[in-house]
Amino acid sequence: MNPLGEKYLRKNFLPFHFCPGCGDGIIIQAFLRAVDELGIIDDLAMTAGIGCSAWIPVYMHADVLKILHGRAIPAAIGLKATKPSRKVVVFTGDGDGLAIGGNHFLHAARRNIEMLVVVVNNQIYSMTGGQVAPSTRVGSRTQTTPYGNLEKPLDACKVGTACGATFVSRWSTTHSRELTRSFKKALGHKGFSLIEVMSQCPVQTGRYILGSGSPAFNLKWLKENCQVVKSPAEHDEVESAGKIPLGDFLQIQRPEFIEEILKMNERVKAEAKGGEG
Amino acid sequence: MKTLERIDIDRRFCKGCLLCREVCQYEVLEPGKERSDLDHLMPWPARPENCKLCRLCELNCPDMAISVVVKEGGKGTT
Repeated sequence: MNPLGEKYLRKNFLPFHFCPGCGDGIIIQAFLRAVDELGIIDDLAMTAGIGCSAWIPVYMHADVLKILHGRAIPAAIGLKATKPSRKVVVFTGDGDGLAIGGNHFLHAARRNIEMLVVVVNNQIYSMTGGQVAPSTRVGSRTQTTPYGNLEKPLDACKVGTACGATFVSRWSTTHSRELTRSFKKALGHKGFSLIEVMSQCPVQTGRYILGSGSPAFNLKWLKENCQVVKSPAEHDEVESAGKIPLGDFLQIQRPEFIEEILKMNERVKAEAKGGEG
Repeated sequence: MKTLERIDIDRRFCKGCLLCREVCQYEVLEPGKERSDLDHLMPWPARPENCKLCRLCELNCPDMAISVVVKEGGKGTT
C-alpha cells in the first residue's frame, strides 16, 4: 500500500467503498499529501454531509463529524467558532454543497469564515442513482431528464467569488500535483477557501452522460475537456469554447469573521468596564 | 541517481480500474491475469525498464494500492 495510507488511514475501514475508478480516492491521496507536507494532521477537524464525496474524511485518522444532508458548513462554522485553533475542512459534493446546502455555502462565503470547503463535482447525484444535479451540463441525459437537461449548470467558483470567498480555485483529478499544491495554499490561507475538484464518476456520469462506463474513458474525457488558464480573459475564452477552465482564480485578504467577533467581544467588555467606572 | 526498484500493487485493495495504465505515458503497466482479493483483474508492471519515476500511477490510484519503490545508487549519489 501507499506509504501515506499506512500512515494516515484507518486500516479497519479499508478497502474504500468507492466504485472502481472513482475520483474520490485520488482526492484523499492529494489531501493527505498536503496534510503530510504541512504536518497538521492533529489540528484537522473535518465535517461532511451525505454523498459519496462525504465519505472522504471518514477514512482519515483525524476528527470527523458526519452531519445531515447539506448541513456540513453550519456544523463547521460552529466548530470553528468554539475552537478557533483547529483547521476546519468541509468535504461536500455538488448536490450536498450547491443544491441542498447551497444557502449555507453562500452565507459562509459572505462572512469569510476561515475554513476550507472542498466541492467534489461529478456533474450528477451519484449515490442516489443518477438524477440531475445543479452542476449537470446542458443537454445531458440523466435518470430524471431522459430527453436532455435544459438548465444551465451552476458554476461554484463564480458563485463563491461573487459571495466573497477569498481563495477560489478549481482543479480536476487528472491534475493531482496541482491539486496538492492548492490544498497546501488553502490550508494556510486565512479566510474562506473554496476548492472545486472536477471528478469522474464512471458508474453514473460515465454511463448515462458521456456514453461509457470505463474509468479510463472518463479520465480521458476530463483530460480533454479541462484546460488550465492563467488570466480572466483566457478563462472566458475557454468557457465559451465549452471547456472547463482550471486554475487558482483568486487569493485576496479580507477581515476574518471569527477573529472580528473575538475583537468585538474585547471591545464591548472594555467599553462596559469604562461605563461602570 | 534514483532508479526503480519495483512497483508494488497491493492485492488487498486493487479494484482493477486501470487508471494507472491510462495515465502512464511510457506503457509500463499492462492488464494482467491475476485477480486481487476483491476479485478484479490486477495490472502488472510489464515494462519496468521504461519507468521514469514520475509517480503518476501512484498519484492517480483511487484505492491507494500502488507504491513506486525507488532505490538510491549509481552515479551522482551523495
